[in-house]
Amino acid sequence: MIVTLAAFLSVILLQQDSTTPLRTVAVDEAFAERAHLNVGDRLAIARRPGSEASDADSVVVGAIFRRGADPSEVARGDFKVRLHLDQLQQISGYGDRVDRFAIATTDSADIARAIERINAQAFGFRAHRSRDIAVETSRTFLVVSRFHRAIGVITIVASSVFLLCIMVLKVDERRRDIAALRLMGISRSSVAQSIVIEAALVAVLGSALGVLLGWLASLYVNAHYQEIYRTPLEFSIITGPIVAFAVSLSLVLGIAAGLAASLRLVRTPPLTLFGR
Amino acid sequence: MRLTLAKASLVRHRSRTILAVLGVAIAAAMLLDMVMLASGMRESFRDLLMSRGFEIRLAPKWTLPFDTDATIADVAGVTEALRANPDIEAISPVMGASIHIPVGSRNVSSPMLGIDPSVQGDYEMVAGADLTRPDAIVANDYLLEQLGASVGDTLLVATGYDPQTRGYTGQRRLVVTGRARFIYGAAAQPGSAVRRETLEGMVEPEKRNRASLFMLRLREGAGTEEVRTWIAGELPKVSVISIASAIEVVDRRLSYFRQLALILGAVSLFVGFLLVTTLMTVSVNERAGEIAVMRAIGVSRAHVVQQIVLEGIAISLAGAVVGLALGLATARYLNTILSAFPGLPVAIDFFLFQPRSAWSALGLLIASGIGAGIFPAWRAASLPIAESLRREAIA
Repeated sequence: MIVTLAAFLSVILLQQDSTTPLRTVAVDEAFAERAHLNVGDRLAIARRPGSEASDADSVVVGAIFRRGADPSEVARGDFKVRLHLDQLQQISGYGDRVDRFAIATTDSADIARAIERINAQAFGFRAHRSRDIAVETSRTFLVVSRFHRAIGVITIVASSVFLLCIMVLKVDERRRDIAALRLMGISRSSVAQSIVIEAALVAVLGSALGVLLGWLASLYVNAHYQEIYRTPLEFSIITGPIVAFAVSLSLVLGIAAGLAASLRLVRTPPLTLFGR
Repeated sequence: MRLTLAKASLVRHRSRTILAVLGVAIAAAMLLDMVMLASGMRESFRDLLMSRGFEIRLAPKWTLPFDTDATIADVAGVTEALRANPDIEAISPVMGASIHIPVGSRNVSSPMLGIDPSVQGDYEMVAGADLTRPDAIVANDYLLEQLGASVGDTLLVATGYDPQTRGYTGQRRLVVTGRARFIYGAAAQPGSAVRRETLEGMVEPEKRNRASLFMLRLREGAGTEEVRTWIAGELPKVSVISIASAIEVVDRRLSYFRQLALILGAVSLFVGFLLVTTLMTVSVNERAGEIAVMRAIGVSRAHVVQQIVLEGIAISLAGAVVGLALGLATARYLNTILSAFPGLPVAIDFFLFQPRSAWSALGLLIASGIGAGIFPAWRAASLPIAESLRREAIA
């Protein structure tokens, strides 16, 4: 069982001697870098900013840690210091209180039932499933995700029009070739099929190139934002289903564009295509 | 003459031209949206901060206003120190607290501000009276709805609540004198305010004479940076935040959207450019014979180039006009999505239409239209006349 308590603390870097062994704290690496802290440095910790050193508790940096991937902390830019619970309770004036209990269950535990039992017996607090809390704290990401989906839809519409336009141009360019094929006796459906196959090939090749570009962009996006927000969170993930969706969609759009362009052409008499 | 020929060429392949215009319109809409996104958030935030004329904010050292529970001590001393600067016209100390109001068996919580109503810059009255009495409270519609209360009702308001004992501390009866709209409040977020001395009387003694934030209005013509530097020297225990520095922080926190706008805007412009270039190149290839005839009867190279470039500009312009309407509609939709960000003030718009944005997008599109026409135009102008005519005759 882990018990945590959060409180706003002010940390002042101190140069002082102490004969009694000091308690240790762990600071996150961003804070250590900003304040030029190293393991073994002494700090004075106070509840309020601007407190005098005499009102502060002295501690020593025992560890520098890397923060976990928590979406709720992204872009906040604040620092984290971990203290022993009793020391934090004393500094913050919380007394024997905590903000939350985190409970680890066994693999076979029925979590829903455990939550129900805790809530039935608890007085003044409620148990929540970690997953539900994660959903609540990552609301920012849900909004960004909805925004990305909307941008994705606009991109798909734009790609469709672009693809249709390119196919119409490609097919238009070969009016005379198609007229010649038709005059040689090649059926309308064969001509249409050849154009559709060509469009599908273009779409598949384009989507393969797109997947490669997307993968490279994803590597860059992750490296860039992990550096900016100092988080191990993955901002862009390319999964099998995403690749399958992109390629399938591109294929469907390609076939539709090819079909639309070819139907327009095969319905025109061959001599008209020749300009006669 | 050039215009007529360009128009005739575009009308000849109507469906192709319509498709190209549609493609450019979507690219233009995306470009406009991204230009709006890149600058809108910053401008909207600046307008919000400036809406009540307070150019400088003081927060506890190393914090942003209301980012933590930290407070600034000695309100009277800080106010006196600030009054020594003749450039500071008005000082508005604000104290923040959480309040708890029992409603039947429920407990409704809300943030509450302790302000001086004569200089406050946090809310606008919608109905009723401002905080003229010590026992007055103003609340926003969302909180009143949660409480099932209205103007004139008396509320039992507490500043402390222990969920284990269900006990309230710092309780006081307050009368709702008015409905207010909190300028920095998010959608679906309760908000309330009382006089600062009223709130001080409800909190523990150690929290009195402290402020979460000071807002300062400067005299006309006063230099914000000079005053900021002066305060930083006089009051080393506070962070002095000007509008420029606040925007800098927001820019840093939301840099993702600016970068996304830049990338997607560039991609949209490139797609539009590519579409027009492809269309014009195919069009020139198709009209090789026609262009050769024109050149053979004495039409100059410059004339041919101008005609092709004009066609490119015409497609870009038509696409831009359609794209403007489309872009405004999509911007509104995308803004609705992003306005659901937790804690985002209602007044903040990610996509803010400014004539400058529209002109920038239009300028970029026309430039790309000209750029897109240059390569096909150069090809058209450099066609070998005799060979092109012979090829056309054989065909």
